[in-house]
Amino acid sequence: MTDLHTLVAGLQKQGASLHLDTTDLCFLAALHVKSQSSLDEELLFDVYEQVCDVTEPGAANPRKRATHALQRLREQRLLGRVDGAGLVKAGEYAMTRLGTAIVEFFLHEEVLTRESLTLLTKTLLSQLSDVLRASRRCETDEDWERHVVTPLNVTVRDLVSGIERRQRGMDAQQEEVRTRIADLLQSDWFAAVEACEDLLTQTASTLRELHEVLLQDATQLQNLLAEIEFLAPERAAHAARHVSEQVDRVSAWGQERLRAWSDYFQFVQRYLRSVVRLDPKRAVSQRLRELLAEWPERPWRLVAAEPTYVRLMREPEDRPLRPRVARPAGLRERPPEVVAVEGDELEGLVREALLVETTLSGVVQRVLPQVDPPRQFPAVGRVADHVARHARAQSPRERQWVPVDDRLEIEEWTL
Amino acid sequence: MMEHPYRSLEDVVQDDLFPEADLALRRGRHVDQEDTSLYTFLSDAQTYLEPFYRRFGGDLVKSADGYFYLLPVSAKGLPRRSLPNGAMLAGQALALLFLDPSVVMKEGGVLPRARVLELLASLLGERRVVGALNPRRRASGPSHVDEELARQELDRGLKLLEDLGFVDLLPDGRLKMRTPLLRFTDPVRESTDPREALALLVAANRVEVEA
Repeated sequence: MTDLHTLVAGLQKQGASLHLDTTDLCFLAALHVKSQSSLDEELLFDVYEQVCDVTEPGAANPRKRATHALQRLREQRLLGRVDGAGLVKAGEYAMTRLGTAIVEFFLHEEVLTRESLTLLTKTLLSQLSDVLRASRRCETDEDWERHVVTPLNVTVRDLVSGIERRQRGMDAQQEEVRTRIADLLQSDWFAAVEACEDLLTQTASTLRELHEVLLQDATQLQNLLAEIEFLAPERAAHAARHVSEQVDRVSAWGQERLRAWSDYFQFVQRYLRSVVRLDPKRAVSQRLRELLAEWPERPWRLVAAEPTYVRLMREPEDRPLRPRVARPAGLRERPPEVVAVEGDELEGLVREALLVETTLSGVVQRVLPQVDPPRQFPAVGRVADHVARHARAQSPRERQWVPVDDRLEIEEWTL
Repeated sequence: MMEHPYRSLEDVVQDDLFPEADLALRRGRHVDQEDTSLYTFLSDAQTYLEPFYRRFGGDLVKSADGYFYLLPVSAKGLPRRSLPNGAMLAGQALALLFLDPSVVMKEGGVLPRARVLELLASLLGERRVVGALNPRRRASGPSHVDEELARQELDRGLKLLEDLGFVDLLPDGRLKMRTPLLRFTDPVRESTDPREALALLVAANRVEVEA
């Protein structure tokens, strides 16, 4: 199973992209219709010019445009050069698988009809029956690979993909029906009612038949796949499970489309009944348009019932009063305190102590008693500052903390 | 011959759907055929519910377009409200879009919400739309703020229309139109003179007109 992230990353790394305008697409379609194994450059240019005459009549310099288109399609791997002459001569080209697939999608509308779906599902049933019979006889890994895994991976998946492609065709057809109904009503209004109802009924009955076929055949398909999965080793069982998921997707598509179409069917029926039949001349739209245009100056309002809400009253409760926060009034301004300037005096004391002491603690012990007690703690920092300026500290790896009195201790420096 | 499901008002009230239907109607919701079970219930019980709601001062109205709603008709009964500017403008614009098959048929009545403002702007002009949605705007002309307030008023109107069953607001920014939008065409259905039609609707308590 392809890893999604790897796939996306790979495409992103390659810068994979496709840009096709209508002229390019028509050019490819024209080449496809030519159905030649290879096309020389002159032929390509001629075909492009013919297409350009239709899609862009009067376009200037079609030859140059053809050259650019050819380059563009080659770069996007929609056309490939099939000769090996290089620059020696003009090349020969063919459509690649990608180019062919794109054109075939547009050229061949695969509509899901009961016959085509039945053919596909019956063929799928037959293939799975063969695979089941083979799986009962498998003995070796090679047997499982050849008779079960490969058919499941290749043939059966192709059939299921075919059903899915036809589903997309049916979706496109339903989209066309919606557009057709809208166009009929837009152009003919009341006269289109019967035609719209016929369109709706036809598509609804087709969907109903398809759903019945899908439901019936899908059940048989799932039963066969379940038996194969039961008998098979892991690799083959994985392949069977994958096909089973695809069959589930096909069934879910049928159910979902039937439900969506049923809703649309009822909506259109109501619309035809309530809008189109009641206003066959489409006068209401015009009158409403005029009424809306003058609404700001002449407002009117629709009346509707107003919901009533029961007022729920809370139970009364006594809330305790919180005491008011109060503090004694104090003087907002205190008289200034006279403080002795210590700077020079302290420095002098430190210098004297340094003559005698060799450690910071010794200096502090000598100086501190000469400082007023309330100012001793901040003074220690100033003492250390003076010591640092007037002496060189020698610090071992770990400094001891030494008490200087019964209240203070200091990190010891050896001076 | 099919037996009628209800033989008395008691049977109707005892039905599991009665509370949901009653609450929806009293909240102003318009119940149409997309609410299949409620619509069927109201259709079957209509004979008993009409006199029931009349006692509360309301008329259970069944429109010919296929929806029910409760209309307060007495000053002493069920409370009534008239739709605000945003809901009225949005409702009329949506009704106009609902009548356009090119809009409705391709997507089954689903369209982007922005279409409403686009239609209003093309019919009334941006200045008049902003003025109608934001009456307190400055006289000098709509500013960026006025326009934003007008958009918010329109969004509130759409939300109210959803509550009343006129539209469904989808999570992807689109909305789905519903049949009750045809109620906004009542003034222009029967008569070619909207004023005459409005006068009749006012007399029937279905609309209010500002003096």
